[in-house]
Amino acid sequence: MAKITTENYVAEAKKAIKNQVLQEALADLQHRFGRGTAECYRQLPEGPDLRLRAHDIRMKDIENLDVVLETLVANIRKNGGHVYFAEDGQAAVNYCLEVAHKHKVRRVVKGKSMVSEEIGLNDALVEAGIDVSETDLGEYIIQLAGETPSHIIAPAIHKTRSEIGSLFADKLDIPYDDDPSRLTWAARKALREKFLAADMGTSGCNIACAETGHITTLSNEGNIRMSTTMPRIHVAFMGMERVAARLEDHDILLRLLCRGAAAQNMATYVSYIGGPRSAGEVDGPQEFHLVVLDNGRSRILADEEFREMLCCIRCAACLNVCPVYAKIGGHSYGYAYSGPVGAVVTPLLVGINRAADLCQGETLCGACQDICPVNIDIPRMLLALRTKLAEGDSAWGVTPADRKEKLLFQAWSWMIRNRRLYDAAVKLAATGQRLFAQKDDMIGRLPPPVHGWTKGRDIKPLAAESFISRWKKSL
Amino acid sequence: MNTASQEEFIHKIKIALGKPLAESQRNVDFFKSDMSDETRGILERIKNRTPEERKKLLATLIEAAGPINLKVISCEDINSVTAAIADLVRDKDPEWGAKKSVVAWQHPLIENLNLPEALSPQDVTVFFTDVKETESGNLRQHVIDSYIGITAADFCMADSATMVMRTRPGQARSVSLVPSIHVAVIELNQIIADLKELYALLKWDPQESKEGLTNCMTFISGPSKTADIEATMVHGAHGPRQVHVYVITS
Amino acid sequence: MSSQKKVTLFIQCLVDTIYPEVAEAMVQVFRRLGISLTCPTDQTCCGQPAFNSGYRRQAQVAAKHFIEVFEDSELIVCPSGSCVNMVRHHYAELFRNNPQWLQRAQDLAGRTYEFSEYLVDVLGVDDLGARFDGKVTYHDSCHLLRGIGVQKQPRKLLHHISGTDFIEMHNSDYCCGFGGAFSVKYPDISNAMVTDKVKNIIDTGADAVVACDMGCLMNIQGKLSRMGSDIKVMHLAQILAS
Ligand code: SF4
Repeated sequence: MAKITTENYVAEAKKAIKNQVLQEALADLQHRFGRGTAECYRQLPEGPDLRLRAHDIRMKDIENLDVVLETLVANIRKNGGHVYFAEDGQAAVNYCLEVAHKHKVRRVVKGKSMVSEEIGLNDALVEAGIDVSETDLGEYIIQLAGETPSHIIAPAIHKTRSEIGSLFADKLDIPYDDDPSRLTWAARKALREKFLAADMGTSGCNIACAETGHITTLSNEGNIRMSTTMPRIHVAFMGMERVAARLEDHDILLRLLCRGAAAQNMATYVSYIGGPRSAGEVDGPQEFHLVVLDNGRSRILADEEFREMLCCIRCAACLNVCPVYAKIGGHSYGYAYSGPVGAVVTPLLVGINRAADLCQGETLCGACQDICPVNIDIPRMLLALRTKLAEGDSAWGVTPADRKEKLLFQAWSWMIRNRRLYDAAVKLAATGQRLFAQKDDMIGRLPPPVHGWTKGRDIKPLAAESFISRWKKSL
Repeated sequence: MNTASQEEFIHKIKIALGKPLAESQRNVDFFKSDMSDETRGILERIKNRTPEERKKLLATLIEAAGPINLKVISCEDINSVTAAIADLVRDKDPEWGAKKSVVAWQHPLIENLNLPEALSPQDVTVFFTDVKETESGNLRQHVIDSYIGITAADFCMADSATMVMRTRPGQARSVSLVPSIHVAVIELNQIIADLKELYALLKWDPQESKEGLTNCMTFISGPSKTADIEATMVHGAHGPRQVHVYVITS
Repeated sequence: MSSQKKVTLFIQCLVDTIYPEVAEAMVQVFRRLGISLTCPTDQTCCGQPAFNSGYRRQAQVAAKHFIEVFEDSELIVCPSGSCVNMVRHHYAELFRNNPQWLQRAQDLAGRTYEFSEYLVDVLGVDDLGARFDGKVTYHDSCHLLRGIGVQKQPRKLLHHISGTDFIEMHNSDYCCGFGGAFSVKYPDISNAMVTDKVKNIIDTGADAVVACDMGCLMNIQGKLSRMGSDIKVMHLAQILAS
C-alpha cells in the first residue's frame, strides 16, 4: 500500500503556505488552468451545461457497472488481452509482480496513473528488484528527487527550474542548466534509453469503452504511448468505475476530460488499446494485461450518498479552482488524491476518522462542482462526510470525532429554539468579551476554542444591543 | 484466467447496486443495435460532402493546428508532397545520430510517394515497416535509427486538428512516435469534422465498423509537449518534436 | 410600490448580534421604497453553523424553529446569501426523510429571497438614489454566487450609486477563507486565503469593499483591521442606504 499521511494535513498545510515558490506556482496554475478550463467550457458549442449530460452518462454507467464491466472484459479477452480482477491494492500489485516474474522482467517504464499511486506499485516493483522509471516528466523529476507528486496533472509544480537543474546535474551527470527546454531534452534523452530497454510498460486508464473493448490513455508528452508501444508487455491498471458503455459517449467525455485536465481541446495523444499486437502487426506489446481494481470502490458504490463520486474521471480540474488547494498544495492531503476530489475520495478509501481533516478543512465554496466536467456535487459529499464524523456511522466504521463539539451543538440546539435563552446567551458572551483587549472597537485576541480566529485577524465585538431588540423598541 | 475472482468481483458490484445476482446482462438498453436518426444524419452528411465543404474543413483544420504547433501544408498533388518531403529531409538534421534515414509505412499512398527514389540523391535510406523488415528482425532498430517517420492516417478531425490512426500489418505504431519528426500524408476526403463523426463512422459505417478500432487506435494532435518545468511549454518531451501533415487536395 | 407584498425580515444571526446596523440599513432602504415590513422577534438562526459542521439533528431543530417562525410570511428577505442558500437548498437535504417537513421547508424556500436579488429580480429596482463618494470594489460571496446564482444584481445596484467609481478586483469570485467553523479550526489556511483576498482588495485602490454577506465581511474586516488598513467594509444595504 502507498503511504497514507492524512493526519498531517494541518502541519503540511502550514509548511506549504510558507513555501513562496509553491505559492506562486499554485497561483499560476489556478490562473492558467482554472480560468482556462472555465473559458473552454464557455466555448463549447453546447456550453458548460454539457457537464450535466456527462454526469448523466457517467451515472448510468455506474448504475449498470456490472454489465458494463463484464462487456468490457469480454471484449478485451476476445481481442487477446488478459484481465485480472483485483480486490485490493495488494492483489493488483501481486498480479503485476507475477506477470513480471513470469516474463523475467527487469526494467519497467511507468506511464502516469493515479491508481498505481494509490496501490503503491512503484515501491513494490523496486522491492522486487526491478528497475522502475517514471516517464511523465513531472513524475520523473519527483522520482529522481525521491518525493511524491503534488498535483494530479502537474506533479512537479512545487519545484523550480534551478532545483531541477541541480537535480539533473546530480542524477543524470550532466552540466548544470536551468533552461526548461534543455532540461526537458536532457530528460528526453535519458528516458528514451529507458523506453527502449524496458521489458514492461504500465499505464492507467482514463476512460475505457465497454462496447468496443478498449482502455484509453491520454498524454501530451507521448510517454504513455512509449510505455505501451515499445516494451514487450503492457499492464494497465484501472479503477473499476473508469469505463463508459458506448463509443459515442466518449465524444462528450473525452472533450470534457481534455478541457478539464489542461484547458485544451484534445490531448496530444489519445490511445484506444484493446489488446496485444494482432497477427501480422509489426510492433506493439506481445501481451496486454488489464487489472481492474476495487480497493474500496464497491463500498462507495453501495452507499448512494457517495456513489456519485465514482463518476469522477480524475481530470484534476477541481484542484485548479479550489482556493484551499491553492494555498496548501497536494502534499497536505496525504495520499494519491489531493484537492476536492481527494477530500472526498481519500476518506472513503482510507477511513473517514483518519482523514477527518480532509473532510473538514474546506470552506464549501462550491467552485469544484462548477468546474467539474461531470458536475460532481463535492460540497454535498463533504457535508455528508462531516455528518458521519459528527454523529458516528457504523457502516463506515466512524466514531464521533469530537465529543466536546457535539455537546456544544447540543446546547446550541436548545438555545436556538428559544429566543429568550438565545438573548441570554448572547448577553453573557457580550459581558465576557469585555475581558478581551479592544483596539479601535475591534477585538485582537479571543479565548479558546475560538482563539484561532485572532491568530491573523481581529474581530468586531458583539453589539451592545441586537437588531431584534432594537426593532422591538423602536422600529 | 481467474474467472472465479471475476464472478466474485461482479457479484460484489451487483450487491452494492442492490441488483438481483441472477439478472441477465441484456436487460440494459445500452448496446442497441439500431442506428439513431442523428447518426444516420451524420453519416449522410459525411457521404455527401461537397468539395467546397471539404475545403472549408481543411481551413478549420489549419486554424486548429496553429495553436498546437501542428504544421498543415496543403499540396496540389502527390508529386509536390514528395518534393516537400525531400526538402524537409534536406533541411533537417538528425537528433540522435549523424546518419540520415527515414522510416515509412507500407501503405499505398506512402508507397506512391516514391521516396526511395526521391531521396537517393541525398543518400538517405528509406526503410519500410513491411513484413520483410519484420522478419529480418531489424525493424525496431530501423525505427529507432530514423529521424523522420512517415505515415498515412485513417482520418483527420478538423475541429481539434487530430489525426486518427489504426494499427495494421505494415503500419507500425512506432513510426509516428519514435522518430524526431513525424510526417503524415492524407487526402482531402479523409478530413472529417469532429469526434462525433469519427465515432459514427467507426460504429455504423459498414466498412469501418467491420475493421473496428483495432487493438490500437491513436489520436495525434500535434507534436509531443510538456509544461512540467515551471509551466514553460516545451515541444518534444518523448514523442516527435515536430509534426507535418501534408494534405493532397486534388 | 404600495401593491408590493409585505416583507418579513429574516435577519442573519451575525447581523443581528454583531452588525445590527446592516439590518437597520436594509430597513431604511425598504422604507424608502415604501415597502411595509415585519420582523418576527423570536427568530434566531437558520441552522447553518450546525449543518456545515455535520450536526444535522441539531440543525434540524433550528430549521424547524425557523419554519415555524416564518411559515405565515408572504415574502421573506434576508441580507445574507449564505442563509438563503441554506433555506433554499440545504433544508431539502435536512428533511429528505421527512416528507411533511420537507414540504413545509420547500414552500418557505420559494418565498425566501436574498436582499439584492429581491430588489433587482422581484422589485425590478436598480437605482435607489444612493450616493457614495469614492472607489468601491465588490466581493462575490461563495454561497451567494454559486449557491443561489446572484452575481449581476449587486453590481447593477452598485453601478447606480452616484459618486462611486466601481472597480472589479482580481479573483472577486474566490472564497475569502471564512467558511464558518473552518476559520477557527483551520486558522492558518483561512488566514492565508483572506490574506490573498485582502491583497486583491487593496490592489484596486478602493475606499470601500462591498459584499452581501457579513460572514465574508467579518473575515475581511478582521484582516484589514489587523493590517491597519482604513478601507471601509460595507454590506450592500449600508452603501445603498447612504
Ligand atoms: S471530481 Fe470532477 S473535477 Fe475533480 S478530478 Fe474528478 S472529474 Fe475532475
